[in-house]
Amino acid sequence: MFNGKTRAETEKNSKNKGILRIALAGNANVGKSAIFNQLTGLNQIVGNWPGKTVERAEGTLHFKGYKIRVIDLPGIYSLSTFSMEEIVSRDYIAVEKPDMIINVVDASALERNLYFTLQLLELEAPIIIALNQVDLAAKKGIRTDVQKLSEVLGIPVVPTVAITGSGINELLSTVVAVIRGELKLNPMKVRFGGEIEEKIQTLEKIVTDKLAHLCTVYPARWIAIKLLERDSDVAGKLKNYENGNAVLEYAEKIAAELEKIHGETSPVILASERYSLANKIAKETTTIESPPKISLEQKLDAITTHKILGYPILATIAALIFTIIFAGGNTLSDILNPLFASLSTHIANVLSQFLPAAAVELITQGLFGGIVAGITIALPYIIPFYVILALLEDSGYLPRAAFLMDSAMHKIGLHGKAFIPLMLGYGCSVPACVGCRIMETERERFLTAFVVILIPCAARTVVILGLVGKYVGLHAALALYAFDLVLVFALGRIAFKALPGEPVGLIMEMPPYKKPSAKIIAIKTWNRTKDFVYMAFPIIVAGSLIIEALALSGFIDYIVNASEFLISGWLGLPPVAGIPLIFGVLRKELALILLENALAQQGMVLTDLNAIQMIVFSLVVMIYIPCIATIAACMREFGWRKALAIVIVDVSLALLLGGIAYRLLSLFMNV
Amino acid sequence: MELRDKEKQNSQNNEQIVSLTSLQEGAKGVIAHAVGGFGLIRRLAEMGLTPGVEVKLTKKCPFHGPVEVEVRGVALALGYGVASKIFVKPLGKEQNV
Repeated sequence: MFNGKTRAETEKNSKNKGILRIALAGNANVGKSAIFNQLTGLNQIVGNWPGKTVERAEGTLHFKGYKIRVIDLPGIYSLSTFSMEEIVSRDYIAVEKPDMIINVVDASALERNLYFTLQLLELEAPIIIALNQVDLAAKKGIRTDVQKLSEVLGIPVVPTVAITGSGINELLSTVVAVIRGELKLNPMKVRFGGEIEEKIQTLEKIVTDKLAHLCTVYPARWIAIKLLERDSDVAGKLKNYENGNAVLEYAEKIAAELEKIHGETSPVILASERYSLANKIAKETTTIESPPKISLEQKLDAITTHKILGYPILATIAALIFTIIFAGGNTLSDILNPLFASLSTHIANVLSQFLPAAAVELITQGLFGGIVAGITIALPYIIPFYVILALLEDSGYLPRAAFLMDSAMHKIGLHGKAFIPLMLGYGCSVPACVGCRIMETERERFLTAFVVILIPCAARTVVILGLVGKYVGLHAALALYAFDLVLVFALGRIAFKALPGEPVGLIMEMPPYKKPSAKIIAIKTWNRTKDFVYMAFPIIVAGSLIIEALALSGFIDYIVNASEFLISGWLGLPPVAGIPLIFGVLRKELALILLENALAQQGMVLTDLNAIQMIVFSLVVMIYIPCIATIAACMREFGWRKALAIVIVDVSLALLLGGIAYRLLSLFMNV
Repeated sequence: MELRDKEKQNSQNNEQIVSLTSLQEGAKGVIAHAVGGFGLIRRLAEMGLTPGVEVKLTKKCPFHGPVEVEVRGVALALGYGVASKIFVKPLGKEQNV
């Protein structure tokens, strides 16, 4: 049942082999991932924890003859069971037992960060502290007595400024010194007040007696505390033990006694206890040197979250991002496309000397075409998008945007944080889908993803602007965007009502603004692009091959013929428009290029379509089946059932709305 | 834990308890209690909003928008629904340091 190593086993663990396993743990927004990036640079593998949609970032480095594997645990505020991230983190610490945990602590918010440190100490894990953002703290007039903090906690404390890389070397030296036994850890024993401590100790004795095996994995005192806190995960583990239920009943009894004395629920009592202790330590070890002046960052914060000014600023930033991704992407795409086109012709010429025509087509159009499709999305659109995303994340603007949009997002049953993936959706649906992880519950993640996919990404924008914007007019293109927002709002509301579960309110930290570092943005962009390439490329290429094979076997014509009643009868489009709609699954902007090709085969050009047909075609492309990379992302995040559900809903919706639009527009527009 | 006792005393002098959302921008208060589900109350406590702690309301959005509070040296954004479930004892101006 527990694959965890016992404490004795870890002693002689990997140390001897010269491989160290280090975990980074700490709150969100403390510069933990900046430290991770400084430590591991480009040697990172970003993936998921087995069976969970929680990001697992791992990297390796070499230091003083040790090969060090660093794992970046999710940024969390507590080690309870509020989210998957918290459970993953504490199980990793308790069960996998890394050789060392670096607890990244924000020097400018010591009290809140120590709350987490105390919980690590409760887990009796080997920890050292990276006291990060000491520069930021100094700006606020906060000075920490590093020596004293180290003495009080009984563990080494290394001051760092992760963004510049200062202190990183000392941090590693300290890790190695502790591993080699040159520095001893003598961690403070976390003790609570009066009757709380009494009750914990009573329960601890019982746990040690009755649950000997569980105590080889988790510390007995920790189990006792978690039982008092009514931790559902630990309670679940107990059910597998002979004496488990008896211990559980006893724990419930004393938790109730405690609650009677304090008039608060037991997790609140224990949280208050930890915070009092954290407050005491923070007061002892920090001095506020000068009354904090109003800094530039604070002024920036006041303006960007201003109840009136904040919104035009948000709109301007969004418009700017949109322009950069769209204009920049188009330019790059225009440069790359002819290059690949000539390369493709060249390959075809070479291959046709010794391969039959069908095979050549399969290779050039299917295989090579798929790779090109991947590259011409990844390079021009995804990379600039990731750069901007990293910039927004690291500067601290994203939570401000979420704060401003909280009320609006509540209208569709979500809260402000959902605005972040929604905004990302205008760039690319793939990272936007992954971005839904910031939502707290599975229900909210899925709800957010559902509406995010309906947001026209850069590729869909190419179709809308390239067809409707260019030939019908900008007003019509903007009307399509406006309609999309109405749709997102309406569907979000319906889905919110239809899906069972309670909405969760906004509880979010607002970290101070920071100057982003170019190095860290570059590392983030590189690793995310790599992840995108690994995930999306095989699927794009496979999809491209399948569709090309279908075309070569004549199966596509059969599909087009069979769907003629839908394409022509229902949507009022020329029958050949079915082909671009099918291929558009690979990448949405391909739909426009292929529409042009398909029409050309009939001796027609784009302008032979009337305004209604252009609008209907763009509308369908905007809503129908998410592109194949997005489907892949959805499957990874939510499983194939939910991904399939999204596909079915979106396709039916696109056809339904397309047909209605055709009929309604025919009434009002003369063409 | 004298500190904790002091915090508790703070919260027990509750002659006048109001919802966090009814504080003015810039005003301070001491948390008396929060109402709501087990999960919400626990989450608030973990984020530092425990009974007895002093909070400052730094921003308030109109039309039932979110609020921003400063607690334990950290800025937290709370949705209106969440904030209205937190009750505080307002601190008079003279008590502000």
